[in-house]
Amino acid sequence: MTTTDTSTRALATRAVRASSRRPRWRRGLVSLAYFVIPLAVVIGVWQLVTMLLPPAPFFPQPFAIFANLWKLLFGGPGGVTKVFTDDFLTTIGRMLLGYVIGAAWGVVVGTLMGLYRYARETVSPIVEFLRSIPATATLPLFIILLGGGNDMRVVFIAYGVSWFVLINTASGVGAINKTLLDLGKVFRISPARRLFRIILPAAMPKIFAGLRIASTAALLLAIVSEFMLATDGIGYLLVQAQGRFQLLNMWSWMVALAILGLLINFLLEWIEGRVLAWHKAARART
Amino acid sequence: MTDTQTPAPAAATAAVLVEHVSHVYGSGPEAHHAIEDLNFSIRPQEFVSIVGPSGAGKTTLLRTLAGLLTPSSGAVWVDGKRLSGVPESMAMVFQDYSRSLLPWLTIERNVAFPLAGSKHSRAERQEIVEESLAAVGLAGFGKRYPWQLSGGMQQRVAIARALAYRPKLMLMDEPFASVDAQTREGLEDLVLSIRDRYQMTILFVTHDIDESVYLANRVLVLSKPPAHIVEDLLVELPEPRDQITTREDPRFVQLRGHVARLIHGGPAEE
Repeated sequence: MTTTDTSTRALATRAVRASSRRPRWRRGLVSLAYFVIPLAVVIGVWQLVTMLLPPAPFFPQPFAIFANLWKLLFGGPGGVTKVFTDDFLTTIGRMLLGYVIGAAWGVVVGTLMGLYRYARETVSPIVEFLRSIPATATLPLFIILLGGGNDMRVVFIAYGVSWFVLINTASGVGAINKTLLDLGKVFRISPARRLFRIILPAAMPKIFAGLRIASTAALLLAIVSEFMLATDGIGYLLVQAQGRFQLLNMWSWMVALAILGLLINFLLEWIEGRVLAWHKAARART
Repeated sequence: MTDTQTPAPAAATAAVLVEHVSHVYGSGPEAHHAIEDLNFSIRPQEFVSIVGPSGAGKTTLLRTLAGLLTPSSGAVWVDGKRLSGVPESMAMVFQDYSRSLLPWLTIERNVAFPLAGSKHSRAERQEIVEESLAAVGLAGFGKRYPWQLSGGMQQRVAIARALAYRPKLMLMDEPFASVDAQTREGLEDLVLSIRDRYQMTILFVTHDIDESVYLANRVLVLSKPPAHIVEDLLVELPEPRDQITTREDPRFVQLRGHVARLIHGGPAEE
């Protein structure tokens, strides 16, 4: 057995050495280039076309859009503008709060559904029915029930976001393999420890998949919620710009949302990389 | 085996006592009688193999002994106590090693996992973990992750985890079914060596006839379901066992042939 051990060890160290040969920053740079270059080409072509053709009011030049966005957010007397604090940050705040509440609710209910067959069987039809209603279609109801204030928007976002996390958590927890459950019982692990140290970590890859989709939904729902009865937020500014035919502003906010969405995605990917490093590494082996 | 008729004294001295245990899955015409009226007892520090055709209710029996399954009828005593739930000082090594280790924990923390509720101090725990890993020949691998090790090594981690729990009774559910033949031989000898060192009672479920005879002091041969014990065989081969000389021993050859006939049928013995 000793001979196999040393050879496995040698193999492992060789593998570690091979992966560390290319430095981390260089791998990061390469993947960044893969992301940036196609985007830069599209923007470049768009810029060229809008410069060469006669001015079209509906399609402003990308550089003008970026400049305008910068001015809208950071062109104030002391740097950041009132729009930045009162609208831009307001939307982000609503989105984050709604996201966190909805995700927490989704994890809790999803875990219960995954753990208990009776909970799953009684709740599933209700879940299936409710989540079939497009979340955006429930906005009028939320306005009637909760008014047109900030709370309503947060609750609306939380509601829409929760389904993605709930469904994924329930399926992740429900699909946990029997050996892991037996393991907890055989070694007389306490029920709380079984939940937090075995079941939830095992379901974590699925939960994260839900959290990712939910983050996209959170931004979408935040903006939609600001289309109706709002007095602030990016969604409100978009509708305003459209009504006043301020196309440059409209485009600027759309670009702002794209950047925001990308940042959120990167952030989640980064967190996932930390939390689920074992999962990626384990999957790469098999 | 007549002492099983009188439960009280037998239950007090036996490591495991199984009395009239039957289990039926489902009910009505679709009911599946997995095991039927099993009776046997195991002495402390005995190594007993349970062997039978596939689907013979071996796993049902093992889950019953582990307290994971309440049998439809009958009673089990472990270490003098009637079983209700999972007994203390019992550990189990599962068939599916790749799923029984927690991939998000290092080897060290996997082995330490069952010790969380124990009264040991942190330093004691560390000592137990290191000693257990050394016992299975994995000293120095504590900081690795399960998926960085080969299948045979992963199963050795699972054995180390069971050892760290300091069990009196160790249940092993076809633990070497999915490792290659050479690794399996090494693991078999490892199990024999730790049995001697830690003085455990071991119940080893397998479908491999050679393995059942090679390892055990006794082999319980199960029938097709509804499973009952076809024969309770004493294995009186010299110890320590050796992969080459034991398997050449005419008594080994005779015993394995006997078990094979019990399981598969075939030409009668001369």
